[in-house]
Amino acid sequence: MSENKKVYLQPTPVRIWHWLNAFGIITLAVSGAQIRFPEYITLLGNYKSVIYLHNTAGFVVAISFTFWFFYYVFIARSMANLYVPKVDELKTGLLRQIKFYFLTYFLGWENPHHPTPRNKFNPMQKSAYLAIMFVLMPLVSLTGIFMTNVEPLRGVIVMMGGLKVLMNFHFLLACCLIAFLPTHMYLTTLGHTPLEHIKTMWTGWEEGAEEVSSPESIGTVSTR
Amino acid sequence: MNCSYINNLLRIALCSLLLLVPCSLPAMDADYCLMCHGDADIVSGPLLIEGSTFDTTAHAMLGCSTCHDAIGDEHPNGDSELSRATCLDCHDHLGQEYMMTDHANYATCGDCHNPHEVRAMDAMAGYDMNDKCFKCHEAPAMVDLHNEWLPQANLHIAKLPCITCHTGSEGYEIVLNIAAKQDDRFLSRYELPGYQTLQEISGKAGILSLIDTDGDNFITLRELKGFNRNPEYRDLRLAGTMVPSDVSHDLSTLDNRYDCTFCHVSGPESLQTSFLAIPNRDGGYQRIPVEQGAVLEALYGTPDFYMVGTTRSASMNIIGLIIICGGLVMPFGHGLLRFLTRKNRQH
Ligand code: HEC
Ligand code: HEC
Ligand code: HEC
Ligand code: HEC
Ligand code: HEC
Ligand code: HEC
Ligand code: HEM
Repeated sequence: MSENKKVYLQPTPVRIWHWLNAFGIITLAVSGAQIRFPEYITLLGNYKSVIYLHNTAGFVVAISFTFWFFYYVFIARSMANLYVPKVDELKTGLLRQIKFYFLTYFLGWENPHHPTPRNKFNPMQKSAYLAIMFVLMPLVSLTGIFMTNVEPLRGVIVMMGGLKVLMNFHFLLACCLIAFLPTHMYLTTLGHTPLEHIKTMWTGWEEGAEEVSSPESIGTVSTR
Repeated sequence: MNCSYINNLLRIALCSLLLLVPCSLPAMDADYCLMCHGDADIVSGPLLIEGSTFDTTAHAMLGCSTCHDAIGDEHPNGDSELSRATCLDCHDHLGQEYMMTDHANYATCGDCHNPHEVRAMDAMAGYDMNDKCFKCHEAPAMVDLHNEWLPQANLHIAKLPCITCHTGSEGYEIVLNIAAKQDDRFLSRYELPGYQTLQEISGKAGILSLIDTDGDNFITLRELKGFNRNPEYRDLRLAGTMVPSDVSHDLSTLDNRYDCTFCHVSGPESLQTSFLAIPNRDGGYQRIPVEQGAVLEALYGTPDFYMVGTTRSASMNIIGLIIICGGLVMPFGHGLLRFLTRKNRQH
């Protein structure tokens, strides 16, 4: 009866973080676009309010990022396990997952990866999330913090090559995050039903997951 | 404007004629007065006038007596009332403009200008214009005051002359100054060095040769890049500021300065005009024109001058767009194949 099994995949703190983050990033992208192109984009009111909005959203995202980080590292203690791909995942798992997404998926095969609370990401997700969460997000936040404190941090900024280098770096990093969005949102629709994964991110429960018997899986598994 | 100066000059000439003083008198007369007024042993405090500074001002050509015309032979003994010309006698245009504003109740011309040390606006670095204002409006208080509505008020107050926002000039231009690292410490401050310091760095060739390598009194983008990338000048940076393009003394706050897009907006006209300000021997500055639009260059034209919304570079925009389009490949490409093969997944 594996069809009826539900797995509690996304604990509440992760879900709160995720939606704060998603909402924050979208706000940042739109307000950021207006800040860069004020004469073309006037969606969010006058320039001053957009600056304040962008700064506030950046603050929210940075705080929620910290919250996410501490949750996984100190409370769930599953950061390394979840986010860092293991050697064999890189050697064979990545290829297998790519083959699934770009070939066997179209033939109607099953996803070779079955998410469990201890191992919820497939090797492709792991690599992508690792890059996003450990490289892009920290760098974009850091450059943002620098830009809201140009005067006090002038010396450091000069050392990094100047304000322009910093600004353009922030801009290109933001573009990478924005590029991640459509890909990410699209991939979340690849479940058994288009909304499956998104519902999971809302309720925490993944439906129709395979029953898992590996000793690793300590997540709550309930039968309906 | 020019017309009123010619009037002034005519008036001076007329005065001179009426007083039957020969034309070469101003300098001689100044030398005479400065014998005492330039000597710290004879006079002190406000009576002491820095002759070398006075000589470099536009007022030097007037001599002392044009403004202090009632000085008699007995001076300094006996003359009870010594005349001082009022600025409005000659600067009627700016003067009238100023006298119309509320600020005329708070400060006189002399509160901001020392008549013996006057400088034209384009002979100033930009930042030093604020010394006038800071006498009464202290910088920290101004940061707090503007913080109420101005994002990054500390940055704005540190980087902009007050008069860029607080006078009627409808345009602005960019002035670049050479700033130097203050000491060898890690993260040391950068400040505007005087003539002497820069002269020592540049040697005989002159300060301008640091940047204007071909010596044509014009700074190209290439020369700017060369300066910024030159490891020899690691301790020098170009600091940018925006100064009013017209002198105005309408000190009332203009509504359009609330609107950030007065400055933070791009377009074919914005931020095209810029100058390099080089300190002179006499304490003033000289402006050298810079290639149109040089501050808009992506990275190395003016690495420390960036204004959001305004100095965005077109090449960065294109790279950004390519990155974002890269993110659309998956949804569209994969999505199309997914749609075409949807029957395979109907179990
Ligand atoms: C011999 C030295 C000497 C010479 C030359 C001289 N002054 Fe003076 N001047 C003085 C002294 C001393 C005082 C201060 C007098 C006092 O406090 O009563 C003074 C005061 C003044 C004052 C201020 C007076 C006041 O009301 O407080 C003015 C203005 C002035 N001089 C202008 C001139 C001008 C212009 C010349 C040249 C035409 C000139 N002086 C030449 C010595 C000199
Ligand atoms: C453009 C007009 C002008 C010229 C030129 C000029 N002065 Fe004055 N001077 C003034 C005015 C105006 C004041 C009054 C300043 C004040 O009260 O703040 C003044 C004040 C003074 C004072 C008195 C300072 C005081 O605070 O009481 C002295 C002394 C003086 N001038 C000397 C000279 C000498 C010497 C020269 C020539 C080297 C000279 N001035 C050239 C306009 C001029
Ligand atoms: C006798 C006429 C006269 C009086 C009085 C006078 N000025 Fe001037 N001022 C001039 C002339 C002439 C110039 C040179 C104009 C030019 O070349 O642009 C000048 C230039 C200036 C400049 C610009 C300096 C420069 O390098 O262009 C300032 C600032 C200035 N005056 C301030 C004052 C102030 C403040 C007063 C009153 C204390 C005053 N002036 C009184 C005639 C006068
Ligand atoms: C609140 C301060 C303030 C007051 C008061 C003030 N000025 Fe100025 N003035 C400035 C500043 C700032 C500049 C630009 C920097 C400079 O040239 O000194 C300037 C510049 C000038 C210039 C030079 C213009 C040029 O061509 O570059 C003149 C002339 C001048 N002022 C005359 C006057 C006269 C006359 C009065 C009195 C009616 C007066 N100012 C009152 C602040 C003031
Ligand atoms: C001699 C002192 C003095 C100097 C110098 C001075 N101010 Fe003022 N200013 C005042 C006073 C006093 C007020 C009225 C009280 C207040 O608002 O702080 C004032 C008010 C203002 C206001 C408010 C305008 C209004 O109509 O209420 C502005 C803007 C201003 N100053 C700008 C400047 C700038 C820019 C400079 C330098 C170019 C400057 N001030 C130099 C004394 C000064
Ligand atoms: C970015 C443009 C900008 C710069 C730079 C700037 N100001 Fe202002 N300032 C404004 C505007 C706009 C207001 C009106 C704010 C308000 O009424 O709330 C203002 C308000 C003020 C006021 C109070 C006016 C009032 O009605 O109470 C003073 C005083 C003042 N500025 C002085 C200065 C001085 C001195 C400097 C330079 C150190 C300076 N400002 C720099 C834009 C600027
Ligand atoms: C509105 C836009 C977004 C939607 C709809 C969305 C949806 C989802 C869903 C459904 C998951 C669960 C995937 C799974 O477990 O299989 C997920 C996970 C994740 N998303 Fe998003 N997301 C959005 C925006 C973002 C943004 C902006 C980021 C980061 C910049 C982001 C980063 C992540 C990460 C890192 C995970 C893994 C979560 C974990 O640690 O468990 N998402 N997202």
